[in-house]
Amino acid sequence: MTAKTRVMKEYKEISRSQADEAIELLPDERNILLWKGLIKGPQESPYEGHIFELGIKVPDSYPLAPPAVHFVTKIFHPNVHFKTGEICLDILKTSWSPAWTLQAVCRAVLALLSAPAPDSPLNCDAGNLLRAQDMRGYSSMARMYATRLAAMPQGSSIVEQPHPSSLNTFKEDH
Amino acid sequence: MSQTGSQSPDRVSTISTWQQQPDNIVDGAESRPTVSVGEHSLASVGEAGPEQKSEQVTSERPTDEQILAQENQIKAEEAQRHSLIGGIEPLSALAKEYEAGSSVFVNKIKTVEASYRAIRRARGDGNCFFRSFVFAYMEQLVNLQDLPERNRVVTCIRQWEKKLVEAGFEQLVFEDPQMIIIDQLNSLGTLDPLKVSVLESNMLDAELANQVVMYFRMLTSAAIQLRADFFAPFIMGMTDEGLTVEQFRRRCVEPMGEESDHVHIVALTDALQVPVRVVYLDRSLNVMAGGFGGGDSSAQVNHHDFIPETAPSAATATAKPLIPRVHLLYRPGHYDILYPI
Repeated sequence: MTAKTRVMKEYKEISRSQADEAIELLPDERNILLWKGLIKGPQESPYEGHIFELGIKVPDSYPLAPPAVHFVTKIFHPNVHFKTGEICLDILKTSWSPAWTLQAVCRAVLALLSAPAPDSPLNCDAGNLLRAQDMRGYSSMARMYATRLAAMPQGSSIVEQPHPSSLNTFKEDH
Repeated sequence: MSQTGSQSPDRVSTISTWQQQPDNIVDGAESRPTVSVGEHSLASVGEAGPEQKSEQVTSERPTDEQILAQENQIKAEEAQRHSLIGGIEPLSALAKEYEAGSSVFVNKIKTVEASYRAIRRARGDGNCFFRSFVFAYMEQLVNLQDLPERNRVVTCIRQWEKKLVEAGFEQLVFEDPQMIIIDQLNSLGTLDPLKVSVLESNMLDAELANQVVMYFRMLTSAAIQLRADFFAPFIMGMTDEGLTVEQFRRRCVEPMGEESDHVHIVALTDALQVPVRVVYLDRSLNVMAGGFGGGDSSAQVNHHDFIPETAPSAATATAKPLIPRVHLLYRPGHYDILYPI
């Protein structure tokens, strides 16, 4: 009961504000506890210019328990299991708090795409590249998979837009 | 994984290997069990080639969901043994637990008996401080029908609404629990006031009770944030990693089941302006100021009063609330409620 009440509140808030243009959250038509999240690869990351789909399942004990979130779109990232899409993110596990919302969870996943944590990898190949400081290898692998497996935003503005600040690690392989 | 450093030095370039075998790309990216950083060397990058993947290691790691599910099962088993909040028991029930154990505890319990008549236990699920505090405070309001204090605390909680938002909480995450708490408090003084039996059943109802805990966790977190400069040195010193205030709030205050420490108690008692006395039942034999008990130092029981600092500009310009309203018994890692004589 509380899960549905809370999720309805979040749904209203999302429809009202839709504050974050990098995130789109869509509930299943028949089940408010099942959501689809679409997130835009962050600027200056190898995922830039692509859209990734997240599957979100809200448990009955939500918000006391975290939603189960996984990548539906395959992604090459040290903290995402390549086959299952499982995400290694503390707030989805032990550090979950009822103060988080589905929107905030998507924001945290976006932050993870920008700042991978290679020391606790679910995808060791991606983790090893980063630990070996091989930014070029990691970026090109990530970009190649994104190009092959992720969607491109339709009529998007973010694809071709270079970010003003260009002194960053991902740029070196252009 | 640990042997990989010694093999195939010629295959350091992962990318070129993968490019030669495009059909295997997807399989090759499959992950392996999480291992510690120390087991890796730089050369292990070359190990990412698809032909070296080994089935027996990939399939054995339980997913985080499975680990979490197991933790939840352990919690559920604990839940069957202890209810969220117990009934009132005489202190002799506590003494019984230690009959066969340490004489230090037995002697100390005798000392506690001089000042307290009873105990009410909370489940040891990491939320026991919040549960004990809230229950004891509300039970006292109900028993005394203390309407002035009720009015004060309801005003106080309403004033926190804005501060919670300031501290970064979305209204929608705390408005329902806040309403649950205020509704219960506001029923005092009406024709259908909250009774202790109803309070008990509310606090036994996991859904209701946990929402209350969740609200006071957010309040505590916000209170820490609003006095971040004051709390930062304590928080820094409490953990090996030297957590920042922000990290501490996210990891140790807001998540359910995270145990409470001095910082939590100071922040919450201050936020609500409710003084609390904590009686420490532990093995320590040293005599500290503020302790009570007879001449035998081994029976000396320490306690600490958490007296809120009244802000000079606070609307409550009345006398500083010095007498503890809530009495808690602390045993290492756990809080229960104490009832003074």
